[in-house]
Amino acid sequence: MHITPDSIILFQLGPVPLNATILFTWCIMALMTVVSWLVTRKLSSTTRLSRWQNFIEVLVISIRDEIREIGGQDPGRYLPLVGTLFLFIALSNLLSIIPGYKAPTGSLSTTTALAVCVFVAVPLYGIAQNGLSYFKQYTKPSILMLPFNIIGEVSRTIALAMRLFGNIMSGTIIAAILLSIAPLIFPIIMQALGLLIGLIQAYIFAILAMVYIAAGSRVRQNKVE
Amino acid sequence: MLINWFTVITQIINFLVLVYLLKRFLYGPIIKAMDKRQEKIDLNLEEARKKNEEAEQESELFLKKNREFDSRHEEMLSQIKKEAEARKAELIKEARSQVDADMAGWYGGIQKEKENFLQNIRRHAVKHTCAIARRAIKDLSNADLEDRITSIFIERLRNIDADEREALARTVQHPAEGIRVNSAFQIPGESAKKIVRLIQNLTTDSVVVRFEILPELICGIELKLHGRKISWNIADYLEPFEENMRATIEAKISH
Repeated sequence: MHITPDSIILFQLGPVPLNATILFTWCIMALMTVVSWLVTRKLSSTTRLSRWQNFIEVLVISIRDEIREIGGQDPGRYLPLVGTLFLFIALSNLLSIIPGYKAPTGSLSTTTALAVCVFVAVPLYGIAQNGLSYFKQYTKPSILMLPFNIIGEVSRTIALAMRLFGNIMSGTIIAAILLSIAPLIFPIIMQALGLLIGLIQAYIFAILAMVYIAAGSRVRQNKVE
Repeated sequence: MLINWFTVITQIINFLVLVYLLKRFLYGPIIKAMDKRQEKIDLNLEEARKKNEEAEQESELFLKKNREFDSRHEEMLSQIKKEAEARKAELIKEARSQVDADMAGWYGGIQKEKENFLQNIRRHAVKHTCAIARRAIKDLSNADLEDRITSIFIERLRNIDADEREALARTVQHPAEGIRVNSAFQIPGESAKKIVRLIQNLTTDSVVVRFEILPELICGIELKLHGRKISWNIADYLEPFEENMRATIEAKISH
């Protein structure tokens, strides 16, 4: 039994081993891109919409509203990162209903990669918003707090990665264990629960990412107020 | 080891590529379409607001005009009524004057007819009376009516009072139109001479008397002298008869 899909090597492309995490990630990427392309190919700017466009619009509007509520700013610049985080995590978790599929979010490598992206995005957005004075917030309330602030920054990133990985991986493992103990009905309930947990985790990850970014970007705003 | 660093790096790249792809194929177009739609809706709303405002203004204008029209309507109505009253009065006046004129015409006509009728009656009456008198006188006294008339006229001329005589004398002295004796019949020579003599008695100057026969006198004789007249006519006897006749006709008409 594989704890992480990283260890499942499906192809060996020369010296590069293509594991299940990368492959399923590509599948998800392809699926999302194709669906997006198909839907946005014939967009209507009138009040008559196709069902798909309506669905996607509702999704995008909800994400934008959520970002606006948390960040208190125009969601335009945060939408690609936060929206993609949510959609990617949600889709990769939801697809785990398909037999044989291994959720890439069940791999610590993937969650680490996503957490690293957030870890890098926070100061980038902060600098874009406030300039280099963004780094001053690490010395607050006193310069003595600098190491603790840095540790806090790193640890929350690790927590972000571990939380998602732990939840998804545990879900998969619990399902596998239950399947061997009680193969009827019970695993289905756990599977449904897994879907719910997967969606909640996607939401939590995206929301936390936005909270961190908003916290970094709000320093200057507080000053102005 | 749960973390495969190669996978981590690949996943970071994958994620960034996915961000780009979604931005390119999902968020960009969708947000653009939504903004466009919002713009359209805003535009429509703005247009609707404008139209609403216009409609309100139009409605306000219309109501104002309506009110104005109502007030003017009342004013015009009263003016029209006044004019109609004036016109009615004028028409009635015209009709009345027309009726009066017509009535005056009719009355005039009736009066004329009446006069003509009376004239005719009078003429006929005189004629017939004359004929009756002539016959009666002939039967009673074997005398001629004309002779009797002439002698009565001569008698009357002889017996005129002093004042009349004086006035007549003055006129005879200066006859402007000459002295005329008109009669309906030929006056016998003897009687004519008597008349001339009587007139001559009034003045010392010589007088010229012209005798003329006027059939319209019917049964009479008259001396005309510069506006003065001495006459005898059977028609004079018919004056009361004519008055009576006139009164009878008036009474009939008034009924």
